[in-house]
Amino acid sequence: MLLNLTGKFQAFKGTETPQLTTMRGITLFSQVATNELRAIKGLLHRRTYIKDEIIFDEGEKGQAIYFIIDGKVLICKQGRPQDGAIAELGAGQCFGEMALIDNSPRMAQVRAAEDCTLDVLFREDFLGLIETHSRIASKLSLELARMMGERLRQTINSYVL
Amino acid sequence: MSDSDSPSAITWCAIIAATCLLLFLFQQILWLVVPFLLALALYYLLAPLNKKLVLSGLSPDFSAALLSGAFLLLSGAALLFIYPIAIAHASEWQIALLRYLEGGTRAIEGMIAMMQDKFVFLRDSDISNDARQNLMNFAEQFSDKHLGKVILTIAAWLPSILLAPIITYFLLKDGAQLRRFIGCTVPNAFFEKTLYLIYALDRTARLYFLGLIKVAAIDAAFLTIGLWLLGVPSALILGIISALLGWIPYIGPLMGLTLSIMVTATDFPGDMVLLYWVMGLFGVLRILDDFVFLPYIVGKSMHLHPLLTLLMFFVGEAIAGVAGLMLVIPILAMVMVLGETLEIILLDTRLRARHTYARNLHKRAVTRDLNIS
Repeated sequence: MLLNLTGKFQAFKGTETPQLTTMRGITLFSQVATNELRAIKGLLHRRTYIKDEIIFDEGEKGQAIYFIIDGKVLICKQGRPQDGAIAELGAGQCFGEMALIDNSPRMAQVRAAEDCTLDVLFREDFLGLIETHSRIASKLSLELARMMGERLRQTINSYVL
Repeated sequence: MSDSDSPSAITWCAIIAATCLLLFLFQQILWLVVPFLLALALYYLLAPLNKKLVLSGLSPDFSAALLSGAFLLLSGAALLFIYPIAIAHASEWQIALLRYLEGGTRAIEGMIAMMQDKFVFLRDSDISNDARQNLMNFAEQFSDKHLGKVILTIAAWLPSILLAPIITYFLLKDGAQLRRFIGCTVPNAFFEKTLYLIYALDRTARLYFLGLIKVAAIDAAFLTIGLWLLGVPSALILGIISALLGWIPYIGPLMGLTLSIMVTATDFPGDMVLLYWVMGLFGVLRILDDFVFLPYIVGKSMHLHPLLTLLMFFVGEAIAGVAGLMLVIPILAMVMVLGETLEIILLDTRLRARHTYARNLHKRAVTRDLNIS
């Protein structure tokens, strides 16, 4: 009986479902172990957006970070998708990460550049992770810092060049 | 949530009206509401442990079953342990109860006599005889009229109380799914705002229920140590029962004090100084609860004005009695979040415009190949 339970425990620990495999494709989760991914999976909300649909507006209170599972999104100045485009992001990338750090308003508008599927992690859940799963939270924070550092470097380079 | 997001006067009226209506409805299904609230408290208590078990590699289902099953087993074992003892000692306990009731009666008589001795205007009144007669009647008739009812009520409530671990199991197992399910029902435009408010509700409920448990534990420790230092027998049992009774606003602490006075007056007849010490201990605890423990532990999580809280207690009591006293604040907090959400969604023209725009996009997408004039 105990052996059977242990077997189930080990089997469960090692199993990686298709959703977990998809999650592994997201840069922010690249350093997270399978069982840790499972804990994060329970916190994510899956949303689907149609092409041109607004995901959030500039100046809106940010509460969540978005992970692109499928499709592309356009980051642009408020209401200017054509002439105010800032960046286009695709599967595996994330946006709205400042919402995890502070309560500041969204810095740009984000629209679906094509039909897309997104996973959403709320700041409350991230703060909960810091309290209950500090190991996962520190891994995510480190990846988040790396990603923001990379974006800062790109911005500086674009100004210098 | 910022002050600018606090509900308007009209919304407040709707929130209070909805709370009253819910209290009235919940009173009809109290057998389900009480175990549900107990399950919520248990859920918030076990949730951190559940998360740790899931992280250690157990499946969410197994972890939820393990925790709620363990709680159910412990409750069952406790009942099985207590039941034969209760049956074996029932007659002794009944005699003891009558003895304590008589002791309490004597203590009240003593207090009235002391007051008549001090205040001239009380000397000629029949207050002592009336009180004595009423209390003696109550003490004599308690075992015949009330004890049976009390035991029957407890027995009738047991099955529904046992529902609590089962509800807890589903909350632990499907809590995150439930949140996702609610999220799925909300259109994209309102998703972030609605979910934020649901999280706010969750945080409020967690602070409230865990806060109540923590305050009860502190109260129990404070009373046990205090009563033990005063030399009152069964200090631990009295401390725990009084702390649990404290969950019933206003009436609960008085019931705890009455119980302790009955025991003290019976075991130390005539020792009025000790009785005053016991009353003082309960008085100090009340002050500490209201000004230190509750504000710091439960916090201002409810964001309710003290006057409104007090008024709602009266309204709750008028609608649903003691149950209303216990339920009114959690229900008000939940309805308040719901009211806030609806107000934000209904008054935010940008969100509504985004929702209409998204609906039009969907409509255009699904009718792209259709020639609809």
